[in-house]
Amino acid sequence: MKKIFFTSLLICFIIKLNAQDKAIVSDLDGLTLNIGDTYIPSTYVSDANGVKSDCQNIIYYNKKGVFSSANSISVDSQNGTIKANEPGNHEVVAICIGDGGKRHSKTFEVFVNYPKIKKVELKLDNNLVYEGNYIPLIYEITDELDVKRVIDYWSTDIASKYFSNISFSLKAQNDKINIDKSNNILAVRVGVSTIEANIDGVTGSIDVKILKNPTSKIELVSNNDNVKTGDVIQFNTIAYDKKGKILNDLPVNFSFTGKSFDKSNTASGLILQDGRFVGDVAGKYIISARIGNITSSKVVNIFERDVKREVKTIGTGLVNDKHTSDFWVFEGVDGNDYAVTGTWGADGTSYFWDVTSPSNIKKIDSVQVDARTVNDVKVSADGKICIISREGASNRKNGIIIIDVSNPYDVKIISEYTKNLTGGVHNVFIYEDHVYALSNGQKYYIINIEDPKNPYEVGMFEIGKEGQSIHDVWIEDGIAYSSNWRDGVYLVDIGNGIVGGSTSKPIAFGNYTYDSGANHAAFPFKSKSTGKFYTVLGDEIFPNGVNPNGLNETAGFLHFVDFSDLNNPKEVARYELPGHGSHNYWIEDDILYVAMYSGGVRVVDISGDLLGDLYKQGREIGYILPSSPKGYIANATMVWGAQLYKGHVFYSDFNTGIGAAKVAKVKPDNSKTNQHLVD
Amino acid sequence: MRLFILVFFFFGYIHAQSYFVYVAAESDDTVSLIRFANNKAEEIERIDVGLLPTEIEGPHGITVDPNGKYWYLSLAHGNPYGKLIKYSTENNELINQTDLGLFPASMQISTVTGLLYCVNFNLHGEMKPSSVSVVDPETMTEIKRIKTGTMPHGSRLSSDGLKQYSVTMMSSELYEIDAIGLKVSRKLSLDNKMKMDMNKSMDKKMKMMKEMSHSKVKPTWVIPHPSKNIAYIAGNGSNEIIEVDLINWKISNRISTGKGPYNVEISPDGKFLIATLKGEGSTAIFDLENNLKSKTIKNSTSVSHGIAISSDSKYAFISVEGIGGEAGVVDIISLKNLKKVSSVNIGKQAGGIAFWRMEKK
Repeated sequence: MKKIFFTSLLICFIIKLNAQDKAIVSDLDGLTLNIGDTYIPSTYVSDANGVKSDCQNIIYYNKKGVFSSANSISVDSQNGTIKANEPGNHEVVAICIGDGGKRHSKTFEVFVNYPKIKKVELKLDNNLVYEGNYIPLIYEITDELDVKRVIDYWSTDIASKYFSNISFSLKAQNDKINIDKSNNILAVRVGVSTIEANIDGVTGSIDVKILKNPTSKIELVSNNDNVKTGDVIQFNTIAYDKKGKILNDLPVNFSFTGKSFDKSNTASGLILQDGRFVGDVAGKYIISARIGNITSSKVVNIFERDVKREVKTIGTGLVNDKHTSDFWVFEGVDGNDYAVTGTWGADGTSYFWDVTSPSNIKKIDSVQVDARTVNDVKVSADGKICIISREGASNRKNGIIIIDVSNPYDVKIISEYTKNLTGGVHNVFIYEDHVYALSNGQKYYIINIEDPKNPYEVGMFEIGKEGQSIHDVWIEDGIAYSSNWRDGVYLVDIGNGIVGGSTSKPIAFGNYTYDSGANHAAFPFKSKSTGKFYTVLGDEIFPNGVNPNGLNETAGFLHFVDFSDLNNPKEVARYELPGHGSHNYWIEDDILYVAMYSGGVRVVDISGDLLGDLYKQGREIGYILPSSPKGYIANATMVWGAQLYKGHVFYSDFNTGIGAAKVAKVKPDNSKTNQHLVD
Repeated sequence: MRLFILVFFFFGYIHAQSYFVYVAAESDDTVSLIRFANNKAEEIERIDVGLLPTEIEGPHGITVDPNGKYWYLSLAHGNPYGKLIKYSTENNELINQTDLGLFPASMQISTVTGLLYCVNFNLHGEMKPSSVSVVDPETMTEIKRIKTGTMPHGSRLSSDGLKQYSVTMMSSELYEIDAIGLKVSRKLSLDNKMKMDMNKSMDKKMKMMKEMSHSKVKPTWVIPHPSKNIAYIAGNGSNEIIEVDLINWKISNRISTGKGPYNVEISPDGKFLIATLKGEGSTAIFDLENNLKSKTIKNSTSVSHGIAISSDSKYAFISVEGIGGEAGVVDIISLKNLKKVSSVNIGKQAGGIAFWRMEKK
């Protein structure tokens, strides 16, 4: 009996060992193909002794998946072939299904040769080259498949990556040009030279005429010499020849050095090549302008911005049995002041508050609908109609609820509207008797609510791209600003008339995207102090996803995009609070009130021209850090949004409800800073 | 005698069977691990899922791989695409993820190919054909997207792992996919076709055609029988279970049910067909070996959703969504005496549910 037992055990062990030792073998291993090649792989399973067994079925796939990026290697499952479409290293997975449904799989690296370079062209920008100037060379590389790569002077990162894979050399015909080890090209002497680039055996060249620098003197002028951090100084140069004649259109390079007044800090700022300079840190800065081998400098003093003011919480309205979402403060038809707050991941309740006296915020009524999240709430300008959004309705119809708030002490549901909104409404906006309601995170519908009992759809806007996605919409002056994650902000005429749009025919006329792809909110801002028109775009980023054991880490910032030229928007500044990410915000009278989630509400001076890092420039006026030991999560600041209303900063907080604060005209009493508010 | 009774109960207790199921709470972004033993269910762990703390991403479908090492969850909402996320059953920690299509929902893994087949429900999108995503769970790569009909739901595999079945809610079709060839092999209309009276005027015929294009069947789930060439389909709109003969590929029976059958499963021993009746908050159990004799059991709350059956065919675990702020519930029904024997509250909108394993205490 004992013998049988051990024999069985041994057999089981051997079977297990054999099963473990089997491995998939394929001639995909180390395979190299040329673009356009089609290949039939041979794949089988082999055990530790080299005994082969065939696969009854084989499935091949590109490890990049089914998206367009996976076209690098395409698989024809019917014919069992793979095709090389793009150069580089690619991963192909083979799944072998053997006898009895035993599955083996392995990833193989397949290399597709880069197509040979056919032509190299070198180009310069439109500026003349003077002795003493660096030459901004542009490479245009065309391969045998007629794919052209353009690597410009500023794209050193791309150049470095590309040239590391192939042979590359750069040389000048004579000593009129000096090329350093990093391939920077300096025009050192007047005359003619030729630059020659050899890339993977193909040579391109360009003749360069180096002119004598006609400049004998540069006068560097600025519109100010003593400013505060964050103030933009415009520098200009006047170049003279040796006869004192003014020279025009010469390329100028600006640079700066500096020293902080505070020895524990370091000078910091930004200078653009159009001569705009901003100092982030108080100190003395030397600004230099250079034309060839002639330079001129100017010293400017940057003083503290000194905008700090005391921000005091006046009152709070605690919601601690559920999370609070968005809010809206409004003037009621009786002239008193009210607010509505939504709730998140709960039971579909919205609360109404009397905030006439911000120091005595009173919960006065509530509405419960079939939903789990009322993410957004808005009230019409006349204070009569409130719209709340629904997500998580038990019948999965979601949509919006229209509420009569003429008497905020006794609000009444007028109607629900779900057509085309069953996928959940995340955000809404009310503008001139129309509701703009997001649908399923993909588009927004425009709904006429002139008769709130009988709302009806009049229009719809979507980007029209595969994978379109939207998070928010905000309306001002007949223009809808929608935030579309990776597709950035879209400016849409819904009645402004700029491009003939209307509610039934919304027309997009502006767009700006940026690399993070996290555009979550947008707010139009016409600067009172400069007249410039910006669209402020906010990120929402949770870099580590959900943290089940504590507070969630947030990231992202506000992007200030100068939209003065609608066809050529330029990102000029950012507000980024270290360690905290942005959410919703409000701008009024050149002051930004931004909910930075765990960083509370930040009140920021955004007056004047905006350039560079606004946080670093000491523009913060003050902050509010709401939290409560009685909060839904105790002592955890998580501010959702902020709104300036009749001189008070109202906010909603995920864990504590609603609150109001006042920005004082005086400087803060430092003994009270960094103090969490206790309900 | 007293000693015998004591010993009997002692060993009875220590050898009690424990059953484990995972169940998703769609409006709380949580998944609960439930243990059921000695006629008592308890939530032993609640796992936060999703990637954005301030968005409800809607965990909808859930499945455990055949070897029990991993569980997989579909998140319905993204930007705009949903996700498939892989977790370890050892510690319930996230291992890997991949994007799928719009509103990915129910799914299952083939025992033969090892691939996961997940329907892209696209519940709230345009009325156009959607797809079944095929994912290799080993690399978490979506390797193919197979086009089917409008609003596909209910992804289940034949017991040999070679065929995947799903139904399309708005185009009312049953789809069969070749699990190895990764292509649609057959499809079947589930409409109750009316005979066209040729004497009727052209206008009336056109009107009938128009009405027929909006099917009333609205199938939401399909389950192939574990040992017979039959599949059963939940006709959510027509209040019926539709029996399909898989050899002749035709409807062989229509069985009337209560309001809104939603999910339907068969016990591994092939004895019971179980259907959640979403519209009336109850569960119907049909005896497949006794002329489809049925019993309906009221669930603990409203909006009955998913079904998982223990591998020993003794218990059915029913997820019940609830409404608004109500807790979701898992009801446990004994298939021996056809009674609800325990319930446990979980997160809001309990939905996708998957049986993991049994364990002797």
